[in-house]
Amino acid sequence: MNASRRFLIGLAAVAGVTLAWEIAGRTHLVEPLLLPPPSEIVTTAIDLARDGYRGTALWQHLALSLARALGAFAAATLVGVPLGLAMGAAPGFGAVLDPFVQFLRPLPKLALIPLVILWFGIGETSKVLLIFISAALSIIVGTAAAVSTVQRQRIRAGRALGAHGLALFRYVILPHILPELFVTLRLSFGIGWTTLIAAEMIASDAGIGWMVVNAGSYLRTDVVMLGIVILGGTGYALDLALVGLQRWAAPWSGRA
Amino acid sequence: MTTSPLIVLENVEKRFEDRRARRETIALDGLSLGVGEGEFVCLLGPSGCGKSTVLDLLAGFEHPTRGRVTIDGKPVGRPSPDRGIVFQEATLFPWLSVIDNITFASRLAGRPASEYRPRAQELIEMMGLRGFEHYAVYELSGGMRQRAAIARAWISQPLLLLMDEPFGALDAQTRLAMQELLLAAREQRRSTVLFVTHDIEEALFLSDRIAVMSGRPGRIVEEIIVPYPRPRAYQEIVAMPSFGELKRSILATLREQAARPQHATTGSLPHGDDLRSYPRSH
Repeated sequence: MNASRRFLIGLAAVAGVTLAWEIAGRTHLVEPLLLPPPSEIVTTAIDLARDGYRGTALWQHLALSLARALGAFAAATLVGVPLGLAMGAAPGFGAVLDPFVQFLRPLPKLALIPLVILWFGIGETSKVLLIFISAALSIIVGTAAAVSTVQRQRIRAGRALGAHGLALFRYVILPHILPELFVTLRLSFGIGWTTLIAAEMIASDAGIGWMVVNAGSYLRTDVVMLGIVILGGTGYALDLALVGLQRWAAPWSGRA
Repeated sequence: MTTSPLIVLENVEKRFEDRRARRETIALDGLSLGVGEGEFVCLLGPSGCGKSTVLDLLAGFEHPTRGRVTIDGKPVGRPSPDRGIVFQEATLFPWLSVIDNITFASRLAGRPASEYRPRAQELIEMMGLRGFEHYAVYELSGGMRQRAAIARAWISQPLLLLMDEPFGALDAQTRLAMQELLLAAREQRRSTVLFVTHDIEEALFLSDRIAVMSGRPGRIVEEIIVPYPRPRAYQEIVAMPSFGELKRSILATLREQAARPQHATTGSLPHGDDLRSYPRSH
């Protein structure tokens, strides 16, 4: 099945579900307070875009959430990739870090909130740190695993052509794992984005994640739904951006 | 071979330890072989006899547990482009174009473009890759990939070319075309080649001399001088009565080796696939 066909089918599926949802709301098949229909969410979006939510413009909520997530994600990439590379390349180093990484990675990050607040307070640091931790851990694990998949034959080819030590790493191993690195980054970004809500639960007064939690306590399900649509849509768009980046940086992915 | 050979393997032993299975494999034992400068030698033997291990020793990927391996009188050091290697699977780098793959070693060594560009161009012509310089590796056919891999190994003007069943994964037609191309290219370059294969006809067509290996642990059991003058034409050589005779005699040696009791492994695991690779219905 080609890409444009897949896209059209996906689009039709989304349109169908949206339509069914709208009809269910209008005919009171489902209580609109529990599941507001799409048209109401659109109205809410227009209202919030004009008036803001609790004193902050909608775009500012989104920008704040994006800044937190992207900042944390950038830091996680800068820290996680080199650490993962080192763990994969130096088994001794890997053996030292591995138990800690494996212990922390599956831990629900919500459990860390009390400690993070105690250590770093309720400011931006705590929120960014929480997203950073969850993304970095999965980047480390994915990168280390990618390094261990480099075929022996390819390393030998590199060595035979005069690449040793750092040159081997830079010109053979690193490009070799690039496609897999992008897969890891995509998965890790998803995990980091998921942590956003948890992070914005820490004594926040803005951000899309905070908006969802706050609106929930006032039974503003339309705002909750809007927040969910924005969170999901933004996550989707950022993933597509990463896929685009991968196609540009590693066009041979899956073809060699 | 009047002067001392370029490659000398003297009484070489190579053991591999497998700690998890608690056993030790003796891949090579008492292997001696000399290859003269400009000579094309084929290493022929049943699968699992350690043919590739010999190349690994010469490339510097492995070191002998006993015996001596020298190239040009010096012991083999770490892998280097002065020993060109072509593997069975194309090990081209998919993130580089054809030309960048070919010039990889030169660029890594910091050689000036004025030096390697013309050489690369010449090899591209020779290997029939003109017009494909800027193609990505995944856009090439299997045969073209191997041609690019040969050019990549050749550009550094290696003392010798080590080839590990380089055409083994290609279809019969491409394979023959590659063999002819290799011979034609070597007419111009006079490189020393050590070529590993399990294909008797390939060995007879390509080489000056065939070294037949025993089953594991591998050593040389027979050396055959291939009497055909160069340049060779495949259809003429296969039609010669001596071709059939040589083939039969080598096949007999290989069968004898395959049938020999294997006592290479101090532990379990039979290496019984040797018989299957030389079926009696040949």
